[in-house]
Amino acid sequence: MSDQNEKLLNELKEAIINCDEAEATELAHKVLDSGIDPVYSLQKVIGESAVIIGQKFDDGEYFLPHLVMAGDAMMAASKVLESALDTDSSIKSTVVLATVEADMHSVGKNIVGMMLKASGFVVHDLGVDVKSSEIIDKAIALNADFIALSSLLTTTMPYQREVIDELKARGIRDKFKVVIGGGPVRQEWADKIGADGYGKDAIEAVKVFKKLSSK
Amino acid sequence: MLTIWDVIERAKTGEKIEESKFDMSIFRAVQAIRKDYNIKYDPKTPIPADDQMADEVFEAGLRLYLMVGSYCTNTGRIIKFSEEEVKEALENAPAELILGEGEDAVKMIHRNVEGSEEPIVAGGIQTAFYSDKEMMFKIYKGCAEDRCVDGIWGGVLGSIDNKYEVLAGAPSEIYGYRVATEILRQAIKAAGRPGMFIVNNSPTSIATIGLHDREKGLRPCDLFETTGISELKINYDDLNRSVWGLIHNGALHGAHNAVIGGFSGSIEGAAIVAVAGALHLVMVNRANNVRPGGIPFKTKSRAMRAHIWVASLALQALSRNTHLILDGSIGDHPAAGPGTRQYLIETAAGHIASTVSGGHSLGGTRKFVIGDTPNFGTPLESRWMGEICKGAAGLSREHANEIVCKLLAEYEEHLDNPPRGYTYDELYDIEKEQPLREYAELYEKTKEEFRTMGLKFKN
Ligand code: B12
Repeated sequence: MSDQNEKLLNELKEAIINCDEAEATELAHKVLDSGIDPVYSLQKVIGESAVIIGQKFDDGEYFLPHLVMAGDAMMAASKVLESALDTDSSIKSTVVLATVEADMHSVGKNIVGMMLKASGFVVHDLGVDVKSSEIIDKAIALNADFIALSSLLTTTMPYQREVIDELKARGIRDKFKVVIGGGPVRQEWADKIGADGYGKDAIEAVKVFKKLSSK
Repeated sequence: MLTIWDVIERAKTGEKIEESKFDMSIFRAVQAIRKDYNIKYDPKTPIPADDQMADEVFEAGLRLYLMVGSYCTNTGRIIKFSEEEVKEALENAPAELILGEGEDAVKMIHRNVEGSEEPIVAGGIQTAFYSDKEMMFKIYKGCAEDRCVDGIWGGVLGSIDNKYEVLAGAPSEIYGYRVATEILRQAIKAAGRPGMFIVNNSPTSIATIGLHDREKGLRPCDLFETTGISELKINYDDLNRSVWGLIHNGALHGAHNAVIGGFSGSIEGAAIVAVAGALHLVMVNRANNVRPGGIPFKTKSRAMRAHIWVASLALQALSRNTHLILDGSIGDHPAAGPGTRQYLIETAAGHIASTVSGGHSLGGTRKFVIGDTPNFGTPLESRWMGEICKGAAGLSREHANEIVCKLLAEYEEHLDNPPRGYTYDELYDIEKEQPLREYAELYEKTKEEFRTMGLKFKN
């Protein structure tokens, strides 16, 4: 790759990290105009900027709103780049995320959702207090790769199990990877209910999702 | 004066906006407002003693609230108020409330910064998970026997007949919380304090309302809970609790958490959002005693340095500029578990900060609950909460800051890897209902240390 192209990709990366949606969109168009391979660009730009955004978040330099804005900039850029791919099958994984039924806690779920977005996942956040069947229906409709469930109450953790049991009952357990988390949730619970993954915080969550997507 | 019905009407007619846009509007408004004030976090003063900064935080919080309002998640609309409406509500808010009844009643007043009046303390293990009725009774009774706590938090029975799990949003929730509350009432009676105030709150409003029963459950003189949804949000389920509290003319408590790392955008921003959150509780939840403050999202302790600063400053701002009855409860979510030295010093840092900043402590001894571990706590932590909160009354902010900095220096590095702690049966002689020697000694030894540092204990 020419130095000039390398420089352009770096500028795009910077624009995403700086949460500049307009600039990121413009630069993504320039990338296409320069004839750089969109798949390569997507992987490089999204992969690398996600690492830096995650780092800044971990260091306390970035807060939630920065994740939102960086995520928006990343989405805008990838939309442009993806428009040049001939298939409509996105290379990104889709996550259906929700806090389970009867549980109103949103803070942790939001952080996980925004970190995933800023790491290049397509996230559909269904909100809080979402019924198991609704989560599954949505995951089917969106042909999602992941179902991510947050629960903050000991008395709502069983709904995480309910989702998995219902997937089994419908004969579609293998279609989705189920990742769980939230204050009282531990790895042992994930093992007990047969979840595919567990993350103790947002940084771990991203690692787990990445590991599971490469499988 | 606005009523809750005006608020609900506004929730139906206010501007419609996506929730994520509302979240970002908080960020943008805080960014715009912050520039006009000299509000600066200094890690050296987790308990700041700068009156001017406190007043500026109040002004900024009020401005923020007038700009963004509250968001109703059921209708997707913004509820807004004028400055006159907010000021009128603040003027009409009570400066004192009676909790409990008969000889066990206590008066909860507006406290001043560095006020010498003892704060009211609601001890007990907040919304704890209990294995069975017997264990629950013992723990509750032990908490109620300590005169240094004024009220007790309830919890939930973990399973029915050791067979069926208690599930929120299902009929078992109503039963699990109700049984726990009935046993709580029996336990305070057995402890000789039948009229002391109690409190419990379950995931859904229907189960919470089901806790009320003059004979067996909660009474109008007890503390009613409404929950403040971060940040500046409300839903109908929460409003159900408010309406129920208003029908009974009850002491309606609300807590709001400004997320440190969240849409406030910075630590200073979180203090501003914390003040706005208190106004939101008064205006929308209709609470007449409120807990401002926050929740850090990386460290699982509310006694972490930046949060102590946020909560202390927000309390001072509200104490100095309103006559609201404030709850601090900064010591209610330590990272360490019961029965450890870190638990004691972490919670103490928060309790001291709450008391000198103008707060009561109504949050019980809750913690970052581990999975479904039942009986995770003992009456001794409840006593600690009462003794420290009250023993700190009258300390100056400077003195309190010195103590808290010393404590932070000891536990701060261990917040990410805290000791898990122990359950009731590991810390107590279950038959005698007394702490095991080692724990009792740890308690007394640590208490002596605090006495030397300047806290005034009754015994
Ligand atoms: C803020 C808060 C509230 C707010 C929620 C506001 C909001 N918009 O979310 C309000 C006031 C509404 C509330 C209400 C209640 N709460 Co509450 N609440 C909390 C509190 C203090 C903090 C939760 C939080 O936001 N933490 C910060 C975030 C960042 O941490 P987190 O959620 O754990 O998320 C991180 C990880 O867990 C992980 N993660 C989270 N989700 C997911 C998902 C996936 C897929 C992955 C991989 C990872 C992951 O990543 C996140 C980021 O690092 C906790 C204390 C605690 N233990 O956390 C109590 C707590 C959860 N609440 C509790 C209770 C009991 C209640 C109430 C029933 C009663 C009450 N206390 O008044 C009601 C229930 C309402 C309902 N139906 O849900 C208890 C639960 C006890 C238990 N184990 O059952 C707790 C533990 C407090 C206590 N008593 O000890 N609460």
